[in-house]
Amino acid sequence: MMRIQFNEELNRLHHDILAMGSRVEEDLRKALLALRTGDIELVKEVKASDQIVNAMQMKIEDQAAMLIATQQPVAKDLRQLVTMFKVTDNLERIGDHAVHLAKTVKRLSGDPYPRPLDRLERMAAIDVAMVHDAVASFLDQDEALARSTAAKDDEVDTEHKAFVQEVLAFLAENPGKAQLATKLIATSSYLERLGDHVTNLCEAVVFMLTGAHTELND
Amino acid sequence: MQQSPPKFSISDLNLWYGTSQALKDITVDIEERSVTALIGPSGCGKSTFLRTLNRLNDLISSVRVEGSVLYEGADIYAPDTDVIDLRKRVGMVFQKPNPFPMSLYDNIAYGPRVHGIRDKATLDDIVERSLVQAALFDEVKDRLQTSALGLSGGQQQRLCIARVLAVEPDVVLMDEPTSALDPISTAKIENLLEELKKQYTIVIVTHNMQQAGRVSDKTAYFFLGELVEYAGTKELFFNPRDKRTENYISGRFG
Repeated sequence: MMRIQFNEELNRLHHDILAMGSRVEEDLRKALLALRTGDIELVKEVKASDQIVNAMQMKIEDQAAMLIATQQPVAKDLRQLVTMFKVTDNLERIGDHAVHLAKTVKRLSGDPYPRPLDRLERMAAIDVAMVHDAVASFLDQDEALARSTAAKDDEVDTEHKAFVQEVLAFLAENPGKAQLATKLIATSSYLERLGDHVTNLCEAVVFMLTGAHTELND
Repeated sequence: MQQSPPKFSISDLNLWYGTSQALKDITVDIEERSVTALIGPSGCGKSTFLRTLNRLNDLISSVRVEGSVLYEGADIYAPDTDVIDLRKRVGMVFQKPNPFPMSLYDNIAYGPRVHGIRDKATLDDIVERSLVQAALFDEVKDRLQTSALGLSGGQQQRLCIARVLAVEPDVVLMDEPTSALDPISTAKIENLLEELKKQYTIVIVTHNMQQAGRVSDKTAYFFLGELVEYAGTKELFFNPRDKRTENYISGRFG
């Protein structure tokens, strides 16, 4: 009976996506902690972990492609498998942004920003929660959660804009600090992009559940 | 593009075998020059429905039919229907290839001869045209006078399609036409459907869900004598409306 094996494989894929999502979330937490503490060891861990995340993505995608080839799924089964490609693709990009965030710690170590990084930390904290909820919305097939998670991207965008203004004000007072200001704004941009990837992931979940393409955040 | 009137318009069709009801309140339009697939588990009524379209169920004495089946606007169950003419215009290809035990040529010329064509040149033309349309001509053109029973299963089935086409039908009904064939022969017939639908209206019963997905424009899902869902094939296989359809096409049935 086709269903039994198919369901087993599907469960395995769900498990792998949970593992990938958890790792990305954990990397993001570590990067945030590194930013707060300046711990270079954590930065190394995040970079090493990103290699594992990339490998996880390939494994999941190969497995999903295999399942499509051998079981010819249709309807929601097919939408679910197609969605997995989008989920892993976005998680992989989110993992890259965690690395960028971690690298910021190094970049700032020689030339620290003399003000608190509250806004960056807040953005990263929202991002962490969004990643967690987005993966949960996929696994639990929870459309409402996918929609509410994507909506949080607005908060990230607001923090990003405010932080850019803050850094520009700092630059006006310290014209010699253009390099530092550029690094800070780049980092904030990564965190902002990260929210967009979570939004994409949530859109994929809504597509999986309804069959309709939706823009969750314009 | 202007919408043509449906080839068949079926309303409130009910059919009983004795006391057992096989079709329940079927209302559906079948579009011309398209492939309509009928899917559903064994005993769901899809083959019975197919046979109502050229009154093949008449051959079963206990059958009772209510409702209407309009073919080009005329009720084929009306008392004055010429059933012979109906079946000429609405031809049928069956699950197992059933060539007559005679030459390829005579198999195809059989129908036209029954309908009174005797002229050798005309028959030659019909045989060639039909074999070309059934994508068989090149494979068999040098052996038209040999027995049809010497053909492979896939060739026999295409011969049966050619035999139907020889009487210049308007609609071709197919009841699981590739279930006895290997994948290559199946692919040939599926490609053929793509060609045939430019000229004919095709209704096909299939147990092969991927086949329905590949060849048809619209798909009807039957279950326990009811038409559960009728939609564009892409839509039905990607995002079915009815949970029962979803379960069936995803293999969750039973």
